[in-house]
Amino acid sequence: MSASAPDSAGPPVAAPTVRVRLFAALREATGWSEQQVTATALPATPLKLWHQLDLASAWPADGAAMPAGVRVAINRQFAEVHTPLADGDELAFLPPISGG
Amino acid sequence: MPTSTSNPAALVSVSLHPDPIDPYQQLEQWQAELGAGGAEGAAATSLFIGRVRGRTASGAPLDALELEHYPGLTEGQLQRLASVCACRHRVVAVMVRHRTGLVNCGDAIVVVAVLADRRGPAQHCCQELLETLKHDAPFWKREWSRGVGEWVMGNTPLVEATAP
Repeated sequence: MSASAPDSAGPPVAAPTVRVRLFAALREATGWSEQQVTATALPATPLKLWHQLDLASAWPADGAAMPAGVRVAINRQFAEVHTPLADGDELAFLPPISGG
Repeated sequence: MPTSTSNPAALVSVSLHPDPIDPYQQLEQWQAELGAGGAEGAAATSLFIGRVRGRTASGAPLDALELEHYPGLTEGQLQRLASVCACRHRVVAVMVRHRTGLVNCGDAIVVVAVLADRRGPAQHCCQELLETLKHDAPFWKREWSRGVGEWVMGNTPLVEATAP
């Protein structure tokens, strides 16, 4: 083992920049529809981005979890709030759907 | 310009339409495409046409209903929902046509058609898919009434006839 090997597993991970999109009532509650965001808390996840963007002030929830009914999509596929994000991903926060 | 996805293996055809659609023309075109593709003829066809009612959920006069969607995600989800339903009921083919954008009262908002060998699978698949679309299709509706728009939270209920 090399004496210069880092204590943590693997090299430092660069903070990903993702395209964040909002829809419908959530977009109107925040006043913006999309922006490029560089994550500040790693590993980056949708839930961390939700708090980084202070979206809870527009769409409150109890505690630190995502509000009930708000869903997440990564690269246009439904995803979990703890899914790791990669550089260049498209992250969408979806307010409760009203169906077809 | 409608956007569409299709899955030839499951014979599921889904498309979104920002402009008004004629449900019967859609049905005719779809059946012609199935025939041209060599699909096996089916004895039973179940059809549902949903139109925009003239009142809001609270009973006020409706100017129009607006449907927002997430291009790419919505089509993919509709395709998945229809494929699962088609597979479960072992039907021959499923068609879903859905409006997006501003839809006027009385205009068709959704058309679902199911082809099967028997009436049971055709009707059950159509009913189940409609309910699934009502709850799981990624659309956001906004009711416009007297010039004011209000986002709809939740789904319209399935109202059954009740015995007197």
